[in-house]
Order: sequence, then structure tokens, then C-alpha cells
Amino acid sequence: MQKQNISEFNFEQCQKCAICTTVCPVLANNELYPGPKQAGPDGERYRMKNPVFYDEMLKFCLNCKRCEVACPSGVKVGDMIQNAKLTLGKRSHVLRDTMLASTDFVGPLASAFAPVANLALGMKPVKAVLDATIGVSKHRTMPKYSSQTFESWFKKNKQSEQDAYKNHISYYHGCYANFNFPQLGKDFVAVLNALGYGVHLLDKEECCGVAMISAGMLKQVRKKAQHNVDIMKTAVEAGRKIVTVSTSCTMTLRDEYPHLLEIDNSAVRDSIVLVEKFLYQVISKGDVKLVWKPDYKAKAAYHAPCHQERLGLGNFTIELLRMIPGLELTLLDSHCCGMAGTYGFKKENYETSQKVGKELFDGIKAVNPDFVACECETCKWQIEMSTGYAVKNPVSILAEALDLEATAAANK
Amino acid sequence: MRYDVVIIGGGLAGKTAATALQAKGLKCAVVADGLSLRDVDLKEFVAAGGSLFSGDRVVKANVEDGRVLSLVTERLEDELLVADNYILATGKYFSRGIVADMNSVYEPVFGLDVEADEDRSGWFDRDFAADQKFMSFGVRNYGQGRVALEGVVLTNLFAAGEVLAGITGIEADAKEIIVKSALDAVANIN
Amino acid sequence: MANNLKDNEFDVIIVGGGITGAGTARDCSLRGLKVLLVERNDIADGATGRNHGLLHSGARYAVKDSESATECIKENMILRQIARNCVDDTQGLFITLPEDADTGYGLDYQKKFIDACIAAGINAKAIDPKDAIRMEPSVNPTLIGAVQVPDGSVDPFRLCAANVLDAKLHGTKVLTYTELTSFIKEGDTVKGVRVHNKKTGEDAEYYAPVTVNAAGIWGQQVASMAGAFVGMYPAKGALLVFGHRVNNVVINRCRKSADGDILVPGDTVTVIGTTSTKIPFEECDDMRVTPEEVELLLREGCALCPSLANTRILRAYAGVRPLVAADNDPTGRSISRGIVCLDHETRDGIKGFVTITGGKLMTYRLMAEWATDAVCKKLGVTVGCVTATTPLPGSEPKDQYNEVKVPSYKGANLGFKASIGRQGSRAAAIDFTKAEDRELVCECENVTLGEIKYAVKELGVTSLLDLRRRTRVGMGTCQGTFCIYKAAAALAAALGKPEMEQKLAEDYLNERWKGMSAVGWGDTLREMEFMQKVYKAGKPSSFKK
Repeated sequence: MQKQNISEFNFEQCQKCAICTTVCPVLANNELYPGPKQAGPDGERYRMKNPVFYDEMLKFCLNCKRCEVACPSGVKVGDMIQNAKLTLGKRSHVLRDTMLASTDFVGPLASAFAPVANLALGMKPVKAVLDATIGVSKHRTMPKYSSQTFESWFKKNKQSEQDAYKNHISYYHGCYANFNFPQLGKDFVAVLNALGYGVHLLDKEECCGVAMISAGMLKQVRKKAQHNVDIMKTAVEAGRKIVTVSTSCTMTLRDEYPHLLEIDNSAVRDSIVLVEKFLYQVISKGDVKLVWKPDYKAKAAYHAPCHQERLGLGNFTIELLRMIPGLELTLLDSHCCGMAGTYGFKKENYETSQKVGKELFDGIKAVNPDFVACECETCKWQIEMSTGYAVKNPVSILAEALDLEATAAANK
Repeated sequence: MRYDVVIIGGGLAGKTAATALQAKGLKCAVVADGLSLRDVDLKEFVAAGGSLFSGDRVVKANVEDGRVLSLVTERLEDELLVADNYILATGKYFSRGIVADMNSVYEPVFGLDVEADEDRSGWFDRDFAADQKFMSFGVRNYGQGRVALEGVVLTNLFAAGEVLAGITGIEADAKEIIVKSALDAVANIN
Repeated sequence: MANNLKDNEFDVIIVGGGITGAGTARDCSLRGLKVLLVERNDIADGATGRNHGLLHSGARYAVKDSESATECIKENMILRQIARNCVDDTQGLFITLPEDADTGYGLDYQKKFIDACIAAGINAKAIDPKDAIRMEPSVNPTLIGAVQVPDGSVDPFRLCAANVLDAKLHGTKVLTYTELTSFIKEGDTVKGVRVHNKKTGEDAEYYAPVTVNAAGIWGQQVASMAGAFVGMYPAKGALLVFGHRVNNVVINRCRKSADGDILVPGDTVTVIGTTSTKIPFEECDDMRVTPEEVELLLREGCALCPSLANTRILRAYAGVRPLVAADNDPTGRSISRGIVCLDHETRDGIKGFVTITGGKLMTYRLMAEWATDAVCKKLGVTVGCVTATTPLPGSEPKDQYNEVKVPSYKGANLGFKASIGRQGSRAAAIDFTKAEDRELVCECENVTLGEIKYAVKELGVTSLLDLRRRTRVGMGTCQGTFCIYKAAAALAAALGKPEMEQKLAEDYLNERWKGMSAVGWGDTLREMEFMQKVYKAGKPSSFKK
């Protein structure tokens, strides 16, 4: 009669083994945080009894989802905590959270005034004011905004050429590549074009909403999510895969939409693919040819970001990087960098964020690489600020290591 | 993705098999659905070039003519794991290597032949401290960790550790028993 | 009442520490009597602790037994006022399913049901099935009718403990694990009791002019020891506990009472029950839930709430209803559902002996009132009953989670709040000053070391099973896998008997094992393997045979 146990976030599968508490980076560094077991399945039973059992300390969860990766029972511990925050949490820093979470709202404004914004966000007195009034940590260097977005660069310089390629993909670039670091988007286009793929923008892509989810802005984020699913549907109907560069965006678009926001993405989910997996698959199938620069030499340390651990696709990145002749690759022990999107920006989290990252920072220093390879933009901010080592997205590494012209010729 | 051997399970049996096979020069991947309750660490396996799929789970196996062809995992989706040989080291109920529902006990990935009582009333002893029969259920061992589907022994899948019938994990020398079963399974692979 | 009583002399001795005995002890002590309460095991060990925990509105009895229904709703309203920390006002639904029309319990019956409820004073109103689904999303969506009634849930352990605590605060001496061996009789008069302490092995004698038999199903044996006959009929009722609160509103079936037709959310879990099987007396002390009972409960439960088919079952347990033969029927075939208070002097010529039986958890206070009235009449005491208006310890103030002040320490909030949920305002008496006392021992049910120490000090705990009844320790998802060794160590230390640790843990594990074995599959079986490993892996293990 009873065949299987079905429960929201698999919460009843929890056996209380507490393995999740051994991997939680916050629990080890912040005594106020009750840990994933208490905040997750244990707390959930009490929240079901009475919402009065919601604990505001859940705000310290940085949503790294390492608890989910470690769980031998398939419990979606992180989702459960995010869900409790979304449905029961109070928001105390509405302005600050909105500003940090609305990466595509502040983005356009900041880009328009990039020199001013960068100056303002980088100057000490202003940062102290932000710290006092809206709670952005003064120790933080805010992400710089680029004066030209990726989208406007692409439309001006590249868009018209794309139809000429024999294969086509849609590119979900995410806010980071668009507003903060257009070079990543440029590298993406260069690599994909060289491999014979035309790159197309989605019809007015919006922020995936990962930061809004952690800020508890349920209503706003559901609207964005629905829009994104709709525009991706159009691309899928045109027979295109939607290729992504950000692990956090990918996780959000594929998994958090249905699990946390109850947005049906079934029509597009299987077509959303992280660029490293996409490239590995087309290369290993022999669909494309690669021509490497003969003199490329570098020493890299690979850091698997938390959301990559959750996606479980890190081996594609590793195999891809191992294909590069001249790249000496060391795999770093898997630790959270402590940034977790906008978490590390918040004043109350700064100290925890730095403590969490320490093991990773020490690991990088021990390897002493030319650069760190990593798919995640917020890890990049944290690692670059905290260690001084440069962080490069694997796509950018490929763009450097490939002889792009020769590759393009080989894939004509 | 292609490997010489794919090991399903990252516990003591899986780790033992993986490192032993790696030492033979074989390219190995371990699929570990969560961390093991035992203090098992796969860092050295990864440092030596092994591929670890952590937090992933084999959801389906493609088997033909007594041979495992490939595995489908929850995370890799359309990218199959392909190998010459496979080791099943998924443990017992807790780690979901063996599943019990109201009236049956089964091995969920391949549907392998198991040894278990059909009548649930005999599974438990009233005395907690006494031996509990359900603890010995598991995949039937046809010798050296060889396993079968409906009586037909598979040629390239071998089981190790607590997923096997007769190994409970609470024997006084449980670790030695598990390690030996893993090395037995590895001995089938050259 | 009587002055100058010696230590072993009382005004009244009460045999049985279930809810009836506890309530009677409280009532007697509030009326100024010197009371001795004797219980052979722990309080709430019998039927009191083995039922649904349903705060009946009385609707279930309205059609067939209007008198019981009226008693229920009156007591329901009283308990809401005097036992706030024990009661959860969930409201209840009586649902009609499409197939009920075929058995004569369609919407015509629903109308009859509502009329009967209103006649009994129960505020029952038909609501639109769509509103019922909104009110309780887990309810079977195919329902064709729903009636809302003022059901709720009540924690019987807590209710019994609160009565015992108040009795103690008013001077009652409570002896648990103390068995009645014989009555001290002089001719036709019961003068007192001889008892045996099962823990210390000591025997003792106590005297009182009146002894009350409140021993529930064991009341037949107690009466026969005094030379009277009370015909009891043990009826076993099996129940299943689900892993979390599946529903927040009690769900009943609007038809003639049958097996498995009440689903009650109680604290952090949901309970489905019950069955009804006559059993011999010998089985009363060791009941096992059979596979047939499990299947029946699951099947009927799914009709009320389909998601139960996929919900983890933590354990199964069974209680025994103390059904009593109607006094006017010497064959004993006719069962009385109401309260039975027997003065054995007028009935059997045995002086100084009263039996209180029948009734139900819901009417315990009224039963206690009747029994105490009978005692007072014998003693010539004229003080009136105040239990209907006097709050039990912990019941005040009204908004407990917000008004009860527990110290604010960093972190560990769940443990503080959970203790308010259990102990009510008495939680303020828990000492959280030391950091270790703020640590959780039982993480599933959020029980702190401080709460355990409080229970040992104030609530008469001697074993982990006793502790479970006062604090929910080990009652959660893991059924003690992760906390029993911690709880055993904490309890042994609090009792000042560290050598007992192993025995405390073994007894508890065996009791948990019994309940889990009946539903040992799926995630519960996974937990059972884990439990075996936690306590038996490695060597040497003292838990292994």
C-alpha cells in the first residue's frame, strides 16, 4: 500500500544523521546560526506546528547547498531553509536587500553613470555611510560596473554576423557578464563563434533572481522568473539550446524556479545547459575541432563553486580544462568561498564570510597558481579581494588558450 | 563520459575498490550520493586523477545481454556514464542501496536478485539487542561479489560491502569484512 | 481535612495514576483533603497515554448518545480555559465522501448529524466543500459535504502531568511504580492499602477512611481484591503516528463511528485511529499492533487524507479502552459509555471504597468531580468543586508564546519556545543560566538539558519513558536514534545514578523498537538500520547480544 515516501523538499527522508552539519560553512563560523539540520528538517516540523517557531537566525544561511550535496537521503535542506525565509521571514534591511538583490535594476543605472558609480562605491567615506545606514559592509569592494553593457556591445559589434553560422544557440549571459564584466560575454561569443555556433540573445532577458530569493522578495522574483521561462520557451521552440555561463543562474533557472517559486519550467529546463557541459559534449562527440595556441602555458587551480557542487557538473569543467595542452591544473579541496552571492556584502555577514573562506584562501596560496579557474562571478569577487589572485572563468581560459582563428577555420 | 570502471557508492567499500583499481592504472569514477556515515575521504582518489561525482545518484542502468552498458545519473542527465566494468557499493537501507517497502525488499538501480524474507513479520526481533534478520538482507552474492538479474550472472558488475546479503556493518570486524568484499570484487577486474 | 494524621494516614487513597486518578487527586486536594495517589507504573501509562489525544467536541456522539455529547462539549470548553498548554484549538471537520451515500451516510445523514449536534449544544455548521479544502488542504478533495465543529487536540501526557503537579502542589503524596498488593480490611470496611514499590522492592501500608479505585481497565482486578465485582471489557485500539503534522484541522468521517475514521494533529505529528478489538486481560500489558491493523488504519486514513499514502509512519501503538458493563445488566453484555461511579457500600456492602470508571479522557474532570463528591459525602466534607474554573499549572497566561518570558540567550531559540509549548508558563521555571542547559539533547523535539533537569526535579521522572511523557524526548523523527544515549546520560546524572545509564537506554530503545517494528519499511526501516548501527557498531558494544 505504501510504496514511496513523498514529501516537500524530501524532508521526511531525513534520518537525523546530522552529516549536513559537518559541511555547513556557516555553522562552523557563526554561533548564532543553528545549522542546516535545525534550520531545515528539524525546524520545519515545528514551523508546521506553529509559524512562531520560525527562527530569524535562518538569515545567516548563505544558500551554498553543501548540505544538500552531503545529504545521503536526498533532502533538499537548502531549499527548505530558503522556502522558510521566503514565506515566514521578516526583512529588516529592505532598501539594502533590494539594492543588492536587484542586480539588473541597479545595473543599468550604474552602467549609465559607471565612472561615478565606481568612484562612489569605492570611496571610503561613502562606504562608511552605506555601512551605517543600509548595512553594506564597508570592508567590501562593491562590484565595479562597466560603462558599456555586454548587450549593447554585442548588438553594436556582433549581432549581425550571427545568422551566418551553421549552428545556433541562445545565450543567457546573466547580470554579471552584462553589467560588471562584459569581457566574459565577449569571450563566450568568441569561443562559440570559433566552434561554429551563432550566438543569440534572448528576447529581453531578466535577472534569474537568485539574489532576490535569498532576500525573500518572492513577489518580484516570481514575475521575473515567469518572464524568463516565457522568453526561453520561444528560443527552445526555435530549436536552440540555452547556454549559460553562471552556475548560480543555471541552478536558479533549472531547479529553484520549480522548487521554490513554483514556476513551471518543464518546457525549457532540459534545454538550459551550462557552457562547460555544452562544450564538453560537442567536443567529445567530435562535432567540433579545437586548435590550441602552441605556446600557451599557465598554472591554474580549480575552485568548484558551491552551486557547481550542487549542479554536479564540475567534472565537465575539469575535463575541459584538462584538454588544454600547457595548462597545469590543480584541483582545490572543495570549500565555500564565503561570498554566496550578495551574502558577503551584508554588514552582519562580513566577518562570517571571511572566516568561511579562509580554508579556500589558504589552499589557493599553497598552490600559488597564475590564476584560479572558477565558473562563479561572486566567488571571483571574494577570492580576488581576499587573496589577490586573479580568477578566470573557464570560458575566458579557453578563449586565451585556443587559436581562435585557426579553430574557426577548422569548424567552417 | 567514459571510464575504465565506474564505482557506485562513496563509502568504505566504494573507496577501497576505487583506490585499488586506480592503483592498477585504471581510470575510475565514483558516484557518491551524499557522504558516508563512516569517516571516508576521497580526497586522495581525486588528487590522483579520479573523478568524483558527489551529490549525484544513479537513477537508471542500461543492461543488455548480461552486460551493463551505461548509467544514467540524476545530475548528468543526457550524459551517460560508460565503463568496461562497474562496482556496486551502495550500502544498505540507510544509503538506499537496498530499499524496503511494505511487502518487498529490492535493489533499486539494477533490480538485482536479493536475499530477503517475503514475510515482514520475521524481519525483526522484539529485543533491540538481539540479531535482527533484516540487517542481513541484501544482494545475493554469487561468489567474489558477482551478482545476477533473475538468475543470470552479470559479466561486468560486481558488488561490494553492505549492499551484499550477509554483511550487516555491525559485525565486530565490520571494516575488515567490507574491505575484503571490495577487494574480492576488484579481483574480477583486470 | 482531618488534623493530626500520621505520615502513613490519609483522608483518601486513590489507586491509579491515569487521567482519572490524577484528576481525582487534584480535586480532592483542592477541597482540602490529604491525598495519597498510588500508581503501579508511571502516570499516564495506560489508556490515558495511548489514545488519539482528541479534544472531542462531542459531535461524534451526538446522534447516538446525546448525554455523552453534552458532557463532552461542556468539558471541551472548560479544558480550553484551564489547560491552555495542553490544548490546541485546531477545529474539526466531519466530512462526507461520495461513497458514504451508498451506505446511508450521505447528505441526509449530515443534516441529522448537525441537528443532533445543535441539540447537544455543539456549534456545528455545514460548510462548502471548497471552504473545507481551503481550511484544511490535506483533506480528501472528493468530499461532498463538510461540517465544522469545535474539535481540538489535547496532549494527554501533559494534561495528566499537570493534574498530578497541581495535586502535589496541594499536598498530595504521589507514589509511582508502586503496586497495590492487597487491601487492609476490617470486616466489611476498607481501611487502607498494602503496596509494593517495584523500583526499591520495599513494602508499605497506608491508611485512609476512603479508597478510590481509578485503575481503568485494571479496575476489575482492584475491585475484586476489595471483594467487589466490576465487569470490565478490554477493547484494544490501534493507532499510527505519522512523521509530521500532515493536517492542522481534525478530520472525522460523518457517519456511524467506525475504525480509523479520526485523524488528529497532535503537537508535531498526526495520529490516525483507531481499531476496536476485544482482547483478553492477559494482553492488556503488552499489546502489539498487527499488520492487518496497520493496513486497515492506512486504508481508512487515506480516505480522509490521501497524502497519508506517501507519508512516513513513525510508529504504531495500541491502547485499551476500559469499557464497563452497565450495572443493571448482570450478563455484562450491555456496555455503558457514560461515567460510572460506584459506591460499593450501597452496591456491595463494602465500606470505604469507591470505583470511578467508564467515561473518557474528555470527561476526566467531571469523573473526578463525581468521585470526589462521593468521597466528600463519605467523609462529611462539604467543600464544593472548583476544578472547572481553576487553571492547571502552566495554563496562564493566554498567549503563551508571546507572554511567557524565557531568558533571551543567543541562539537555541527553538528549545526555549518548544518548552513553552509543552510546559506552558511553567517553562519560566526552567533554569537556562548555564550554557550546557541550553544545549539540545533531543533535536527532533527540541528538548534542552535544562528542560530535562526541570522534569526530573518537578515532574517525578525516573526513566526515559517517564521523561518522554513529560517532554517528548525521543518522540520525533529519529525515535531516539540520535538522542537516547545523550538523554540517558543526562537523566542518569540528574537522578544522581550514573550507573543506570545503560539500563535507561536499553529500556527506552526496546520500547521504541516495538512501535517501529510494526511499520518497519521505507524511511522508518532506514532509521531502524541507523539505530542498530549507532548502538551496536564496533566493539565491544553493550547493546549487542
